[in-house]
Amino acid sequence: MSNILLIARRQVGAMREDRYLVFLLGLVAALGIVSVLAARHHAASETEQRARYQAVVDRQWAQQPERHPHRVIHYGFLVFREEAPLAFFDPGVGAFAGTSLFLEGHRQNSASFGDARHATAMLSFGRLTPAAVLGLLLPLLIVAAGFASVTGEREKGTLPLILAQGATPAQIMAGKALGVGAAAVVAALPIALVTAAFVAAGGGDQPSIARMLALAATYAAYLSGWVLLTVLVSSRSASSRAALARLVAIWVVLCVAAPRLGGSLANALHPMPSRAQFTAQVEEAQRQVGDSHNPDDPFFSALRDEYLARYQVASVEELPVNWAGVVSREGEAATSRIIEQQHQQLLAVHRRQDRVMAWLGLLSPHLAARDLSMAAAGTGPEAVEAFRSQAEAHRYAIIQRLNDLHTHEINYENDRAQRLARQHWTEFPVFRQDPPSLRGVLADRPVSLAALGLWIALPLAGLGLGRKRLPRVGADRPSR
Amino acid sequence: MRAGKVGPSGARAWTRLIRLDLSRVMRSGGVTMAAVLLLGLGVYAGWQGNRRIQAAEDAAAAAETAYRDQLAHLISRYPPTTEAGELLYYLALPASQPLSRLSALASGRTEIETANLRIRLLALEGQLYEQETLNPRLAAAGHLDLSFVLIVLLPLFVLAVTYDIVSGERERGTWDMARLFARPRRLLAAKIGARVILVGGLVTALALAGASLVGAPLAGTSPTDVDGGGRTGWAAALIALHTLFWFALCLGVATGRRSSTANAMILVGAWVVLTFLAPAALSLANAVLHPVPEALELTVRQRQGYHEAWDLPPSETMEDFYKDYPEWSDQTVPEDEFTWAWYYAMNHRGDQAARDASLAYRDVLTQRDRWARRWSLLVPPLATRLALDRLAATDLASQLAYQDAVRRYHERLKAHFLPILFAAAPIPQVDWERVPAFEPAAPAGHVSQAGFPAAASLVLASICALLVAGIRATWAPGRVEAAQSGLTNRPGRRIPGGRR
Repeated sequence: MSNILLIARRQVGAMREDRYLVFLLGLVAALGIVSVLAARHHAASETEQRARYQAVVDRQWAQQPERHPHRVIHYGFLVFREEAPLAFFDPGVGAFAGTSLFLEGHRQNSASFGDARHATAMLSFGRLTPAAVLGLLLPLLIVAAGFASVTGEREKGTLPLILAQGATPAQIMAGKALGVGAAAVVAALPIALVTAAFVAAGGGDQPSIARMLALAATYAAYLSGWVLLTVLVSSRSASSRAALARLVAIWVVLCVAAPRLGGSLANALHPMPSRAQFTAQVEEAQRQVGDSHNPDDPFFSALRDEYLARYQVASVEELPVNWAGVVSREGEAATSRIIEQQHQQLLAVHRRQDRVMAWLGLLSPHLAARDLSMAAAGTGPEAVEAFRSQAEAHRYAIIQRLNDLHTHEINYENDRAQRLARQHWTEFPVFRQDPPSLRGVLADRPVSLAALGLWIALPLAGLGLGRKRLPRVGADRPSR
Repeated sequence: MRAGKVGPSGARAWTRLIRLDLSRVMRSGGVTMAAVLLLGLGVYAGWQGNRRIQAAEDAAAAAETAYRDQLAHLISRYPPTTEAGELLYYLALPASQPLSRLSALASGRTEIETANLRIRLLALEGQLYEQETLNPRLAAAGHLDLSFVLIVLLPLFVLAVTYDIVSGERERGTWDMARLFARPRRLLAAKIGARVILVGGLVTALALAGASLVGAPLAGTSPTDVDGGGRTGWAAALIALHTLFWFALCLGVATGRRSSTANAMILVGAWVVLTFLAPAALSLANAVLHPVPEALELTVRQRQGYHEAWDLPPSETMEDFYKDYPEWSDQTVPEDEFTWAWYYAMNHRGDQAARDASLAYRDVLTQRDRWARRWSLLVPPLATRLALDRLAATDLASQLAYQDAVRRYHERLKAHFLPILFAAAPIPQVDWERVPAFEPAAPAGHVSQAGFPAAASLVLASICALLVAGIRATWAPGRVEAAQSGLTNRPGRRIPGGRR
């Protein structure tokens, strides 16, 4: 054990002597702090804005004048997606999902105005968020800190000396990994501290301790894998130069190329219909139901016969309920069902694409770590879908309640001229967003969890296998 | 280059030097593998770009078919006495903006934005900002197009073949031997020449593969045309200049007396700063400096403006309507019954209510675009990327131009249908063949306006880097030689353990 600590200290000393590395470490730490502050600022103003507009819209709803319920069905309701409290740490898919959703009768709108739509192409290079600093830059820092960890000793001729002093190859590897890991900890600590400070200081919505721990565990595992891989590659390379070239190449492939290639492949394997095609499909399907605004529609004439038989009357005018309201209600039920079916088909494509990405996580731990990070932060695709489905449920409940008012409170005769008193509007429920649970979203990601496990296990196994080879490689160092 | 100053025998020596060095670079397994990977990725990206263009064409065709189907269905469903206004409530007219061929190179925002809106005669503001059916998870992963391969990945290849151009020889101890054959500066020029040829070949192969996949025109047609040869020419020039910029930068660093590993770390650091950090920081600054509250504001206002009208006397709505359409002010609508003319005037009231917010929204986005364009000139890869997007008409400004084209189309549709609405004409009186068709937006800005600033930024940055290299090569050749013995190759790293 003391050997391991001695070697770790030796590595830390070597890193402290390297002015490039010290500069890089300071830079990454500073960027981490800046990214937390900036992301926090942006998230706070975004949250404040959405809350303000939600209040405006809620007030406008409650202050509606006397209106016919069907008018209110078209007036509809606006809801704004709430971001998870940890969205400032990892915005996940938030920027690419809409923020405002208009809920009205007869149709399911898509959420509009995502952050990405207001950004120039600058965004396509990536975003400066704490998650990006940890996921993208820290691995590179680890590479810079550790590429020469073993090759350096070999090139200086100090490796045989260390071995002669009784340190086993396994102890050398462990010590080197510990030393390189220390650099990663020093760089990551400011981000963790500032984030924790914000979370502790911020009132209102508190991210649960469990989410913070899940985030910490994800990045600890991901970065540990990088530390192990760096030491492994260093121990297997003939020179520091070769080790650096290999590690940078690995970083480019895993962190830069793989995510984009993965997204592109998933899209190519499971293409999605365009918005224009999707709405055309929905309309096509809706035509099968008919139009609730048209009383002569075949679907609704069958319904009429059923109602006339049930109430034993000869015409809709004699029904004890308002026939127009019934038509509207049944029409809404049928169209909502069809639209939801179409939407589920679209989501099925999303899920197939997501599966491709998850499996690619086995090849690129960066993808797996990102997947788990957004799950832990509560900003994954599930959160967006939960918002959509909850908003849809809310929409359906409100519209059908308005249709019930139409059926029971409005007379069939001279239907359009009647209005309902204002106090009806205040009795409607407010939209509450309920984010998916952490346990649920993590349980949905077995492949990503396994990928992150493998990411640590494989280099560890490599280090274990290379244990006996270490002195032999050391013997043929080039500088002798 | 300076080949002209060398005599005929010198020229032979030159080509031999270059050939020798080229074969040595190519023999390295890593370089060949990276070249093959880049080539494969580039061809794949070009193929995907082509697929996107096809998908957009399919979507446009689908929108057109959907319009025809819907129209036929509506006409068959309503009795001929029905007013045309009722049918127009449902009818969605396609407004499809074709993708330029160059979008296969620089796909820009095409994956986020829809270029196939279907427009109804209702209030426009609620229809203008529809989002494409994207999978947010894939979008968040970033997208892969040919410009990503050329602007982000290719520089790493340039870096990998040049970072040790001097230090490598020194550390291997071959610098002295090489100097027997040529002067250091000539040797350096030959080595750089060999690598420029290698990378140039790679870029040409990628460009030709891309061009043959999407059939981009290499010359001809008018300069304002989206598919014009001028645009392709500028794009090719920018990519060439951008690649040369990286050569210049690598040369500037590699001619120093640092070790290979130090050079590699500095260059990778420069690459991270230029392709990730600086763009991300600028993007963040842009978002903070130009916030867009108007996006939500206009949604709220349009809805309120339209729905309030139902509770107002029709004459009040019509007054507002006549302000924008004075040519119809002699038409009145009855106060006590529903008319379609009034209905569409109420929709117009929604757009009126949202107008200020909508203009402010558009202004903020224009400011963001301008700001990004200006500041990007400090970051060559970003300037190149923005210029390519502009040339391919896939940038933010092009999206705004598309929205303006849709606004104009909506007005033309109104102008076409208002007489029918005011006359309360039944459906058969509409001649559907004469309904105006969407006219796509012309690309924003002139070609040279899009390309020139970025090109100038690239040339300037390259000159600066070359000056550094030139000064070193001219003034400090002795230092280069002094550092040649391989033992001093890691000046930063002494043996700390030795002190204890």
